Amino acid sequence: MIALLRYETAILLRSHRWVFPLIAYGALILTEAAGGTPVGPPWLSLADGLDWSAAMLIPVLAFLTRSMLTAEPDASRACVCAATSPVRTQLATLLVALGGGVLLGLVGACFEVLLNPSVSGHSDGLLGNVGAAIEHPVTLAAGLAMTGVCLLVGSAVGALCNPPLLRRPATAMLATLAAAVFALASDVSPAGAALRHASDAFSPHRPGGVQVLGAAVLLAVTWTASVLVAARRENGSASA
Amino acid sequence: MRLESVGKRYGVRQPWVVRDVSLDVAAGRLIRVEGPNGSGKSTLLRVVAGVTVASRGRVSGRPHTGYVPERFPGGLPFSGREYLLHMARVHGLRGDAGRQRVDEWLERLGAAGYAAAPLRALSKGMCQKIAIAQALLPQPRLLVLDEAWTGLDVIARGALDDAVAERVAAGGAVLFVDHDPGRLAGREAERWRLGGDGRVAVATGPGGGTAEGGDAAEGGGAAERGAVRQQGTGEGAVMIELAGVEPAGLARLGEMPGVLSSSGAAAGRVLLRVATRQSDAVLRRVLTWDGVHVAGVGRAEADANADAPANPGSRP
Repeated sequence: MIALLRYETAILLRSHRWVFPLIAYGALILTEAAGGTPVGPPWLSLADGLDWSAAMLIPVLAFLTRSMLTAEPDASRACVCAATSPVRTQLATLLVALGGGVLLGLVGACFEVLLNPSVSGHSDGLLGNVGAAIEHPVTLAAGLAMTGVCLLVGSAVGALCNPPLLRRPATAMLATLAAAVFALASDVSPAGAALRHASDAFSPHRPGGVQVLGAAVLLAVTWTASVLVAARRENGSASA
Repeated sequence: MRLESVGKRYGVRQPWVVRDVSLDVAAGRLIRVEGPNGSGKSTLLRVVAGVTVASRGRVSGRPHTGYVPERFPGGLPFSGREYLLHMARVHGLRGDAGRQRVDEWLERLGAAGYAAAPLRALSKGMCQKIAIAQALLPQPRLLVLDEAWTGLDVIARGALDDAVAERVAAGGAVLFVDHDPGRLAGREAERWRLGGDGRVAVATGPGGGTAEGGDAAEGGGAAERGAVRQQGTGEGAVMIELAGVEPAGLARLGEMPGVLSSSGAAAGRVLLRVATRQSDAVLRRVLTWDGVHVAGVGRAEADANADAPANPGSRP
């Protein structure tokens, strides 16, 4: 399994399929950081920043998952499946995409902590910002938990809306986009519920256990479907 | 390794591509899989190799497997050698052992000079060599070759023939599909013939290097498959004797629609058995070849075995 993960990671890195998600994520975070004047206590600004960087992981990771699921030609994938198993191969692909999402999420959270000016009262520089953030451990922990929920949901969206479950490129891309928006905007989605709950209640005690559990179940279900279908039909043409 | 009532289709509403296959893949056997285009040969190989899971039935006891696909388009962001090093690790060969094996196979297949070039930049034949190398790296107990010889040069074809012999001698099972009826002729322990209906008939022993049971129909449509069956049910056949046929030509003859069997003799003389209704088409094509002459044409004697789909030893 480690060799498989290494192989899939090498495909991700060498094919430069990580560049677009990284740029998109950076742009989304900067957009939020550039606009809007913070209102309210400093921890709220930090909480909002962390929520935003978590929320934007959903579309970004969904598309990163898509690029991993479409990165490898059917023929070389078949060779890997014969050498290991189709189930493990598909799992490795999804895991590597999720791993990329975790890295992005950490970068996003670090950015929010380091460069959120209102936390430190504008003046103490980067270290001051870190120091100020550490004074709000509950806010930090809640932000990271939110990042976790959004990672699970983003990966689930990517697995659900792309090959082998949805195989036509146009359908798959539109579905990915729509599902990502839905996951953010609807209370049915654990991430949407957690984010909404966050802005309603002026308290950092979120996401709730139900939402974490819901996101985990969503991930388990979509990954299982993706793996099972991948093992039964090939991504590309189902030719004899 | 054993297949138990294995069936495969690519979706609930799709037709069965392969069905009711119950067979043993015994160690040390060389198995030729044959049948017209579109009869499910590739699908059967994929199920055997574990590339895809059977829709019905069970595949048990599959050993470590190397699989060479029909086409290997080099769409990966690696050089040939980097790809093979990754595949060596995926096959469980670590460190120096993997590196040695990779270099050995690049050398044997005559691809060492191109090992550092990106896969995208390689020719079809060179990509095929990389695909073959990745399957042979771990010395698999099961080797599955789906038209692996296509596009290879003489050195690589020879190296692959040798590798197949080595695997079989070492007690491994090798399954292959190839459109050249002369490929590994006389060395097969079994022939699995797919009829148009997805069922497999097994014949033991070599096919004698004839095209019997080879690809008698091109295109793979149901109509053509029907035509093959018609030939098999005694519409009559014609014997055609040709002179001046080169070895490559003999292979092409075996793939022509309507050719039921072909046997080469010395000095480019070939005796063809052709279904009557396609004999004109065969003659027209042959007469366009340089240096080939039609030495004789005659009615074939009624010989049920030659053109009926071979069925001896078929298992349920």
